[in-house]
Amino acid sequence: MILLSAVLQQFMPIIGGVYDARILLLPLCFLCISVTLNPAGMLFIAYICGFIWDAQHVLLPEPENAAYTQPVESLPFGYSIILYAMMGMLMLSIQPLFRQGKWHYSALVTGLAIFLYLTIEYLLIFFVRGRWSFTEPTLLKIIFTSLFTMAASPLVYWFLFKLADSCHYIISYEGLKRKRRYSID
Amino acid sequence: MKPLTLIALLLFIAGTAFALTRSESTVRSIQHSYYKLIGPALKSGTSLANTANALTREFDHSEELELKLEAAEAERDSLRIIAIRVRELEAENNQLRSVLDFQKQTPFNVTATRVIRRNPSTWWQKIIIDRGRESDITLNAPVLNAAGLVGKVESPESGLSPVILLTDEKCQVAAKVEGTHEVGILSGRRGQLDANPLLSLRFLSKDAPVRSGMRVFSSGDGGLFPPNILLGTVESVIPGASESEALVRPSVDFENLDVVFVVTGTKPE
Repeated sequence: MILLSAVLQQFMPIIGGVYDARILLLPLCFLCISVTLNPAGMLFIAYICGFIWDAQHVLLPEPENAAYTQPVESLPFGYSIILYAMMGMLMLSIQPLFRQGKWHYSALVTGLAIFLYLTIEYLLIFFVRGRWSFTEPTLLKIIFTSLFTMAASPLVYWFLFKLADSCHYIISYEGLKRKRRYSID
Repeated sequence: MKPLTLIALLLFIAGTAFALTRSESTVRSIQHSYYKLIGPALKSGTSLANTANALTREFDHSEELELKLEAAEAERDSLRIIAIRVRELEAENNQLRSVLDFQKQTPFNVTATRVIRRNPSTWWQKIIIDRGRESDITLNAPVLNAAGLVGKVESPESGLSPVILLTDEKCQVAAKVEGTHEVGILSGRRGQLDANPLLSLRFLSKDAPVRSGMRVFSSGDGGLFPPNILLGTVESVIPGASESEALVRPSVDFENLDVVFVVTGTKPE
């Protein structure tokens, strides 16, 4: 599912006229998966997703050249792994609600996680490159990307449950479990 | 903390440290392997998307025709469809003719490539073109079209190459202003999301005699980009305490990139 979303991410179009916003499919899949896992599993998936994301997106340093006295710095390969783990931690924090069957809270937190992820990523770019610039279109791009991604999360949850069903894996809800009843007899 | 979680955390930290300390060449080989893995999917996906777009267009058009069919003869309709196809072929022919013209006129040896994906990243201004190493495309090779400089090749892979556009902050070009001795570094500006972003020409002298409407060309300094490639036109000048900066409108229409040319060498005189 992760590999599929990494490929499909390349085909995610910019949603026209909405500040270059788009659905971030790979981070979304990661977030939806991470809420169903234990911390160890989440860290493993965060590593895989961050690694793939950086292989796809990270910009390499420019070759040294006397004409360019102030090279534009790049974010190092691997930074996304840490960001993914941070987002995963956020999702794990609402896992009790998810296990009670309240998946819609997870969908809302997905949007929040994407918003924080993009904001931190942008601040990191500013940190390594300098020249502070945080324009209104940038903020709106972050907000709309988060909103669109959040809106797509029910679909990913649905796909995840279907996938779990087809693999005979049970994503158990505590809310659906039968409570043991004890009797005095 | 559970022992399993602790072990996972330690492994995660070790793995992250491993990833963060990779050298440029290792990262390049990782990216190379990644694009090698997803390259076929990317290419077939693009052709699928193109087919779907063509079908959608055809469908829209068919609906339009359906309204007219009520009053028109079947033969006439089929002729119309043929006419549409002819128009498509004509447009394609014009495009190919302009490609050929450009290849003849330019002083460089160029390889014509099609843009298969645009802006696949959140923050970086990139496109992916359908030619790679097998077409003699090299790292940092300049990418042009008839209007001027488009960008440079970020990493040539087999069968495709990501290109970083001139509108990205990371694509720096040594530039000169027409009719002056002013030279500076031209690059994209962060956080610009409109269709026609402006470029920033920095490190001009404090009292640079640069005026709106002057054209900006590559200077060739540093050897990365050949000299005298049109980059854009000065829109305004922002004076500073020790140096001034000019805002430049790029000559290339980045919204309508379809065919671009990668410089593979210079034509013999």
